[in-house]
Amino acid sequence: MSATKKLHPDEKIKADKVGGTLFKAGLGAGAVLLGISIALGAGKGDHWRHFLHAYLTAWSFVFSICIGSLFFVIIHHLAKAKWGIVLRRQAEFITGALPAVALLGLVFLVPVLLGNENLYYWSVKQLHDKQHPFFHHMHHKMGWLDPVFFAGRYAFYFGVFIYMSTWFRKQSQAQDTDGDAGRSEKMRYWSGFAVLVYSLTTVFAVMDLFMTLQPLWFSTIYAVNYFSGAMLATYCTLGLMSMAIQRSGRLTHSITVEHYHDVGKYMFGWTFFWIYTAFSQFMLQWYGNMPEETVFYSYRMFGGWQIVSIIVLVGHWAFPYVSLVTRWSKRILPILAFLAAWQLVFHYIDLYWNVMPNQTWETAGGWIRGPLQGDPELHKVNFHFMDVTLLLGLIGLWLAAVGKSMKGNLVPVNDPKLGECLAFENY
Amino acid sequence: MEAETQAHDDDKPAAHGNGDDHGDAGETSTDGGDTELHGLLAEFETPGALIAAARKVKNAGYTEFDCYSPFPVHGIDDAMGIKRTKLPLVVFGGGLAGLCGGLLLQWWMNAYNWPWNVSGKPTWSLPANIPIAYETTILLSVLTTFFGMWAANKLPQVWHPFFRLDRFAKVTDDGMFIGIEASDQRFELEQTKQLLVAAGATHVEECHTDARPEARSVPRAIYGVMIVLTVAALIPFALAFKARASKSSDPHWHVFSDMDFQPKAKSDQPFAEFADGRANRGEIVGTIARGNLRADDAYYRGLRDGQWITELPAAFKVDADKLNRGQERYNVYCAPCHGFDGAGHGIVPERVALRGGAWEARNLVSSDSVVIKMPNGQLFNTISNGFNTMMGYAAQVPVDDRWAILLYVRALQRGQNATQAELPAGAQVR
Repeated sequence: MSATKKLHPDEKIKADKVGGTLFKAGLGAGAVLLGISIALGAGKGDHWRHFLHAYLTAWSFVFSICIGSLFFVIIHHLAKAKWGIVLRRQAEFITGALPAVALLGLVFLVPVLLGNENLYYWSVKQLHDKQHPFFHHMHHKMGWLDPVFFAGRYAFYFGVFIYMSTWFRKQSQAQDTDGDAGRSEKMRYWSGFAVLVYSLTTVFAVMDLFMTLQPLWFSTIYAVNYFSGAMLATYCTLGLMSMAIQRSGRLTHSITVEHYHDVGKYMFGWTFFWIYTAFSQFMLQWYGNMPEETVFYSYRMFGGWQIVSIIVLVGHWAFPYVSLVTRWSKRILPILAFLAAWQLVFHYIDLYWNVMPNQTWETAGGWIRGPLQGDPELHKVNFHFMDVTLLLGLIGLWLAAVGKSMKGNLVPVNDPKLGECLAFENY
Repeated sequence: MEAETQAHDDDKPAAHGNGDDHGDAGETSTDGGDTELHGLLAEFETPGALIAAARKVKNAGYTEFDCYSPFPVHGIDDAMGIKRTKLPLVVFGGGLAGLCGGLLLQWWMNAYNWPWNVSGKPTWSLPANIPIAYETTILLSVLTTFFGMWAANKLPQVWHPFFRLDRFAKVTDDGMFIGIEASDQRFELEQTKQLLVAAGATHVEECHTDARPEARSVPRAIYGVMIVLTVAALIPFALAFKARASKSSDPHWHVFSDMDFQPKAKSDQPFAEFADGRANRGEIVGTIARGNLRADDAYYRGLRDGQWITELPAAFKVDADKLNRGQERYNVYCAPCHGFDGAGHGIVPERVALRGGAWEARNLVSSDSVVIKMPNGQLFNTISNGFNTMMGYAAQVPVDDRWAILLYVRALQRGQNATQAELPAGAQVR
């Protein structure tokens, strides 16, 4: 039985000036905060080392939500999903920020091309010298870790992401005007190919952008772990974004507690998938106990980083997992909103835990000196105020880019299954 | 009161028209005066009609009724006034029991009953237990879901009074039914019938059951079969217990012979394939195992530029804990010969002297002892490698502990040779 409903006659479905407001506010706040961060980064006098790491962390946060939204769109078509059609357009708007995110990445891409070793240490030419202490470990990898090749791959990844997201968004928006149900068929046909291309592109992009911070470390599930965090952040973002849009008086009838309930279920599911992949990575390396693998955890399991590891485990998994088990916590919107915001904060802390230790680990001679166990001086959490200003600044710029693409209808009004989505109920 | 009568009264007897149906329905009535009214069964045409009718029946105050359909009908729970199931709570309990049970199982097996060292990890090691605890959590969650659902639905139910009505067979195909039981407080045959007709039933039928007690009991033969099967299921356990409690000269059964006899050689076994006939390949020439470089001459050998060091090595950090550790290790390894005070009157020389022999241990603390003038490096070397009849302790005592012992020996020497004037006020020996 598939009950259907029509869009409520009084429903406000136009984005109108929401996008413009978001663009102005986001751009203003983002530019100011980025300016402050640059001043702080220059003032630290460490050759932008901290700035670059903190920037990459903040950038990976907005990047993860963009690629998560792209997957949301693709999998929606592939699975012929009905429940989330009222949320799909928002995900499409978010993917509209991908070109801006690609440009923001130039901040760390250009130093790579200039051979700056402060973020990706493999970008220095000296590593090709046989006398360099890392030469023996690194010289087989230097073909892949070539700065120009790296930049080319960066352009390729974003080319794929931007092309796919633009195609799905344009098809969806064209359906708004011409009402051609065949477009849904077409998008479903291509979503199968898209999901394959997407998976490979994401795995390689994550490996290049984040794993090469520690190019001598191995993990085959790292990209899946990043992806699961990205999907979790995406569902949290979609939930919060829908609530914000409804507050502005739009879509008040279309998005119901039933849709939020499903968002909550996905938050629960991805929370678990995240810990599943994170633990899979940890347990195999802990059990195998091979120095080239445990180097990642042995740095994060001691000193100041030990506390951060525990905070991530409890805050990103244990607490939200238990909180999201019940039906009511997904259906009482203030609670769901709190948990969504909570998980976004901890998604950032998770990324911070992944990226930031490299900043001190490597300068402390982590690779040569081994696990660095026991010396608390070498396990310090290198928190700086610019970490926060950079995160908020990049979120501002990202919101501006999302706002820029927010035009026309806030729901795909001519999607053939929209009626079933509006009447959707959890039994 | 006969089911037959009702069938003919019906507005739409179409489905009731064929001979077989008629004959079976007749069987119900042939039981004659021993029948008892179980309830009423009403058929509806569509799921929508079923929902509407269920709501009417609920609103009329009935509680002992149920809906039957070939597929799940969304919204029927609400229409019938069924409360949300408590099953999730039961499943949560089951999952929790699985988690705790899985952890307990592994603790008992790996850490308590048979402690087993796996690659130097603690015998009870949480990360290693997570995958199995995760599986047992899922296992018990699924089992409680499955059997909890059975219990909540009163399954297994091999027979139901409505099975006596041929029309009810349509419930596995295209029939939507509401059945109201006669045990309901509001049940009044004629009124209830009217209610169902008014709710849109296309057909309403009475259901009678056989009231004789023997017709309601399980045949004896079934008990017999169950007892035999239960006993048969115990045979494998009986065999296992017999094997555990008795002796046998037969060789083991090798169920997995490729696991019991693996084509591999362990470290200290002979192995003909290699030229030297040993399985152990030794260290690879030109390599040093991680952590075995020991480049710090002062720390590992007590030397600097070929000379004994006189100070302590930089890698050895002196504090009160080290001194206490040195005392503890000294009392274990050195005191048996050198004595607790270092003067050479340990229990071993004493005992050898009592039996008429001579076993001299050096006095470490007397002011004219060679030990007191010995550079630290040389004393460390003596502890490590021995001197004359004293054997080396490098194999038993780690490097850091050997330096700690040296530290304690120096403290003994200082303490044994202190003058009255050097002692703090009040601590002088009278």
